Amino acid sequence: MGINQPGKRAILQGNEAAARGAIEGGVQVAVGYPGTPSSEVIETLSLVAKDLGFHAEWAINEKVAFDVAVGAASVGARVLATMKNAGTNWIMDMFATVVYGGLPGGLVIFSADDPEAFYSSTEQDTRWLAKGVGVLILEPSTQQEAKDMVKVAFDYSEKFELPVFVRSVTRISHSSGDVTFGEMRKERNKVFFDRHHKLPFRYNVYGPFKYKGKAGPTAKHVWHLEQLEKIKEFVNEVPLNFVEEGNTSLGIIASGMGYAYLKDALLKLNPETKPWVLKIGTPFPLPEKLLKQFVDKVDKIMVIEEGDPFIEEQLYVFLKDYAPGKTIYGKTKNRVLLRYGELGLTQVLNAVAKYLGMEPPSIPKDRKTLKEEISKILAPRSSALCPGCQHLGTYWGLRFALLKVAAKYGKKWKGVWIVNGDIGCYEQGGYGIFAKEITPNEDKESRKYVITNPYEILDTNYIMGGGIGLAQGQYQAGYRDGPIVAVAGDSTFFHACMPALANAVYNKAAITFIVMDNAWTAMTGHQPSPTTGITATFEPAKVFKIEDVARALGVKYIWTVDPYDIKSTQEAIEKALEKTVEENVTTLVVARRECALQVVRRLTRKGEPIAQYWVDQDKCIGCQLCVQLGCPAVGWDKKTKKAFIDPVLCVGCTLCAQVCPVNAIFPKTGGKKLPDIGGEE
Amino acid sequence: MVDNYYIMIAGVGGQGSVLLSRIIGDAALMKGLNVRIGETFGAAQRGGAVHSHVRIGKEVYGPLLMEDDADALLALEPLEGLRRGLAYLKPEGVVIINTRKVYPIDVNVGAAEYPPVDEIIEALKKLGEIVIAADFTEVAEEAGTARAMNIAVLGAYAKVIELVDSPFDKETLLEAMKGRVPSRWLEANLKAFQLGYRIAESALKEK
Repeated sequence: MGINQPGKRAILQGNEAAARGAIEGGVQVAVGYPGTPSSEVIETLSLVAKDLGFHAEWAINEKVAFDVAVGAASVGARVLATMKNAGTNWIMDMFATVVYGGLPGGLVIFSADDPEAFYSSTEQDTRWLAKGVGVLILEPSTQQEAKDMVKVAFDYSEKFELPVFVRSVTRISHSSGDVTFGEMRKERNKVFFDRHHKLPFRYNVYGPFKYKGKAGPTAKHVWHLEQLEKIKEFVNEVPLNFVEEGNTSLGIIASGMGYAYLKDALLKLNPETKPWVLKIGTPFPLPEKLLKQFVDKVDKIMVIEEGDPFIEEQLYVFLKDYAPGKTIYGKTKNRVLLRYGELGLTQVLNAVAKYLGMEPPSIPKDRKTLKEEISKILAPRSSALCPGCQHLGTYWGLRFALLKVAAKYGKKWKGVWIVNGDIGCYEQGGYGIFAKEITPNEDKESRKYVITNPYEILDTNYIMGGGIGLAQGQYQAGYRDGPIVAVAGDSTFFHACMPALANAVYNKAAITFIVMDNAWTAMTGHQPSPTTGITATFEPAKVFKIEDVARALGVKYIWTVDPYDIKSTQEAIEKALEKTVEENVTTLVVARRECALQVVRRLTRKGEPIAQYWVDQDKCIGCQLCVQLGCPAVGWDKKTKKAFIDPVLCVGCTLCAQVCPVNAIFPKTGGKKLPDIGGEE
Repeated sequence: MVDNYYIMIAGVGGQGSVLLSRIIGDAALMKGLNVRIGETFGAAQRGGAVHSHVRIGKEVYGPLLMEDDADALLALEPLEGLRRGLAYLKPEGVVIINTRKVYPIDVNVGAAEYPPVDEIIEALKKLGEIVIAADFTEVAEEAGTARAMNIAVLGAYAKVIELVDSPFDKETLLEAMKGRVPSRWLEANLKAFQLGYRIAESALKEK
């Protein structure tokens, strides 16, 4: 990855390709926050950063990451900032402002959207954000283009002194393809600072810059709009937009994955009438000159793009003046593609076939029947917390602490607690994988629901750092029907919970906050966080203690527990809930233990056996408490009405043995109990 | 040689399906073809369903297979093999399936039944053309490490493609495997590959 080797062909994941593009483009600073499907860009760069002499870091959130990026570009360096769709929302303040004056260093934003929401809270299309700000958007159709576009984006950014936005999607970022390497840029941008570089008061929107009769931010706005006009001209000449000739009056405009699926569909259909195709590599601004030439050739235009009808809506505006008689097919008025979910080859092929007047391929009826018959024996495989996950212990403690405290204050309230979730592995506490079909209630009554497993414990869940804020709002609005709780992980705590926690203390919100510290940003693939002790490039770093931060923010009552000790965990949460009720204060419980996966990986690498557990079938009374723990390794035999432990999955966390009321679960001999956080050192 | 060739790899997290897809991709590169690999995995790091779409050809763009598109299904886990086979296997397609089960939480807690493995194999025989089923985990253990299970499956596949139109041969797959497997595990993986190849060989003779 870090060796020049132009012309070399290799299979790269889209994110690896983007990283290679940054390397070929001479990146000097690469910064991001982990977010699936974008994380591998920084991960890849962090492996070669030291050798190639650039800086790579995981920032604590995307806002900080982007501010760091802007700082680096302000002193002339080439910078890459990476994020997932939700993360792009975090950068908006600086993003919308920095275009007022721009930057000398090439600044490339790599934003990975997630149509079909495989790994995300939403299917948000971040192209709107970049268009709203007013910067050039590039959108790759293949891994090769992901590399090439990131590389060339540095040049484009420096040409117009504005950030360039590269929009990826899951099927680019998390797919792999053959990529031919290019030449690595040898020179590095000079790092310098001149407050009046090319523009007076360049880096200070309030500086007394006068332009076209305006001053300050408005003058900078005029400058930005002029740059945007230049970009609008420029996109007509870039090779990223091009026309493929057809032999009918049917036209197709395709961008990103839409173009890839279109090409696959045309290869499969092999139509006699070939549509005219306009491949768009710059969804904003659209190349209007090229568009005019294309529109002149066709009567109808189909638009294929991943996400929202972003190009399509721009096309409506464009055609209204230029060629009002031509019909557009896509995701709005003449709908041939769904506005939600990912495009996929099947959908695109069917839509293109119909558009070209062809019969789309179909599955014969008897095969369909056969499949329906076979599918009856299929079993689901729901996403669950990992075997031995310490969150299972925390959620168990929380579940029973809530029951106890709700009952204790029975006269005071209805005992209807609210548990606000957050983003991380523990969000699975809201997946409800065994949930029944729900009929919603129309009246406005607080209702208590029975929880039988950890996958039902979260009542709310939206975004990073959202839970601790929601909890305060519920309290401040006067909710007193039961305890109010928020949970978050350690990486999420640093990402977005610190200001919210200060706010809770300052505004006297009586809520209980539980931070589940597993020492990693685990869900996105174990990137280091401020609790890990290393940086992105494996340098030793300060290990932050959440208790210390919380204490400094004014939290008076703090408990630290090991979630593998279920009794103490439950007791600590009980105390915290009681304290919150009795003294009307913000309380904090830190449940700390390193992610079991990481610990088990290290032990396995060393060849050290793990003490697995088993259920003594004679002693088991079939109460299913251990099954309710929600560990994928703990099973229930319907025939014998006894619990069992799956030896393939068990990592010996001891949690099930602790919840067993009759001590029927034992360790097998010869193994080792999982050590404490970082314990083996 | 075929112009386009599609493979579906099905398994659960931690079984090495990603490595397997990369090895096959490398083999296609050696043959001068283009490759796209699309991967989807669950939110959990361990035990979630993982599947890889592998598209190989002179001209390929996107990473996704269509329904009944797969020339080959490499199933590292039986239930996941059935799931992806139902969606993607061609009637002329070939299947290599590891019979070692990894129970989903739904089955472990009694919310669903794991289908009998012989029924899974029968179903795949109805859906496709050739099915080679074996406990490839055991085969890999015999070779030195259970983690070479994916390579044992690859070995069986290397035999099956001698009977059908495919872009590879045994040597290319072996070469690609050598390039991707850590050197300290190479010996066990080579053995797993050979054992897998022989299993397919004898299974095909029986037919």
